[in-house]
Amino acid sequence: MPLSFKVPIFDVKNVNFSANSQKILSNISLEIFNGEYIAIIGPNGGGKTTLIRMLLGLNKPTSGEIKLYGKKISDFKSWDKIGYVPQRASLVDENFPATVEDIVKMGRTSKRSIFSSFSDKDRQAIEDSMIKMDVLDLKDKMIGKLSGGQRQRVMIARALASKPEILILDEPNTGVDMVSQKSFYALLSKLNKEEYITILFITHDVGVIADDISRLFTINQKINICNSPKETLSCDEMSALYGIETHSIHQHKNHEH
Amino acid sequence: MFEIFEYDFMQRAFLAGMLIATLASISGTFIVLKRYSMMSETLAHSALVGVAVGLVAGFNPLWMAVVVAVISAWTIEYLRSSFALYSDAILAILLSGSLAVAIIIVSLGGAFNNSLFSYLFGSILSVSKEDIITIVSFGSVSLLVLLAFSKELYFIAYDEEVAKTSGIKVTMLNYLLVTVVAIIIALSIRVVGSLLIGALMVIPTVAALQYRVGFLKTVFISLFIALFSVTAGMILSYYYSLPSGATIVLCVIAIFVGSLVINKK
Repeated sequence: MPLSFKVPIFDVKNVNFSANSQKILSNISLEIFNGEYIAIIGPNGGGKTTLIRMLLGLNKPTSGEIKLYGKKISDFKSWDKIGYVPQRASLVDENFPATVEDIVKMGRTSKRSIFSSFSDKDRQAIEDSMIKMDVLDLKDKMIGKLSGGQRQRVMIARALASKPEILILDEPNTGVDMVSQKSFYALLSKLNKEEYITILFITHDVGVIADDISRLFTINQKINICNSPKETLSCDEMSALYGIETHSIHQHKNHEH
Repeated sequence: MFEIFEYDFMQRAFLAGMLIATLASISGTFIVLKRYSMMSETLAHSALVGVAVGLVAGFNPLWMAVVVAVISAWTIEYLRSSFALYSDAILAILLSGSLAVAIIIVSLGGAFNNSLFSYLFGSILSVSKEDIITIVSFGSVSLLVLLAFSKELYFIAYDEEVAKTSGIKVTMLNYLLVTVVAIIIALSIRVVGSLLIGALMVIPTVAALQYRVGFLKTVFISLFIALFSVTAGMILSYYYSLPSGATIVLCVIAIFVGSLVINKK
């Protein structure tokens, strides 16, 4: 085995997914390594969310295999390594009795043992993630009273509270204004570069994809993995993507990360 | 004013009332936040089947109510997770189905009398020492379970899927919650009656939600509203010879309306 060998965070092999006898994802294979910053784009109904849900164990593939840190999903226990921010995160129920701190604490819940309250370490992690996402000042505010951009930062703070190694975000900009979106992408870059958190996010908005992503996955039933995102964004593949399906699969094998 | 506490049966009634108010309001918070409000009504009617079996077959009706309510809760949770689209219809079917079964059992067994009536509408003044022991023992275990898993249950109520992906055992905890709720409802029907327990479980939380405060404060406000309503309801029912369960429910509804008015935007 070569010295450069690393166990990928996600190792997806020949995965298919069908629902109501309709094929959603076809023959998906990919690997995601520590330190990467990956965007997923594709048309509505192309299977982006389905792929993410399968990576998180929320949907089971019809066939194929998914491994997390080298383990089958059913055997994987270290879920605190993965932070998830779902699509509707900023569209909260306004009457839900939750302060910003209540929400961020949720991210630390699975780390604590039964009957014990949060330890000093937990409290520190909760505060750290609120500082990182610049929501500490809002900690006593009700989540329903925040703007879309603020809610989005709170949801990411919750995901960061467990000190994850990878952050998965499904269309994080739903319900967020343009100004917040820009600072949001700067923040994702910072988390990736300074905190070494691997990032995988879905977006439908091609125009706002950050310049510094390391790879781009385009999904429309099939996957096209592009290692030079800027080229992809300007090449014919985009029209193919938003047309019927994508064709070329050329996955990068030797990661420097 | 305090002569009502001179009677043993009133002391027992107050003790039972306070215990039920505490259990119903705390478990009710999770039920309301999970949008399971209708489930409390359905479980209360399922518990009646247990009461009917108990009355006819000569077992302790309260124990039988606990058993049947728990089985019903598991059935509901299984069906809810398997056929999510029809979960409200499932509750409606089980609610009327249970009531029908209870009525048939009781009428076949010839026990359609005041006993069943007291379980339908609550009869706090006929709470026996044995009832108190049953309520305390089952109730304290239920409360401990809720407190032990309150943070997890709160997370699940907010976002079940994210809770799952963070490693929380969502399916197991959902079953645990409905089990505890079923037990609390079965214990409560002696005090407020199966037709009224849903109100004591749901309304204090809905009233507390009007104050738009964080989770812990909401739980405490809900608890306070439930304790106050039960106390006020029992005192009023004593002095004006009103049925206790119904009086308690009207008190809690009055507080709910007051909370709505105070917090009107």
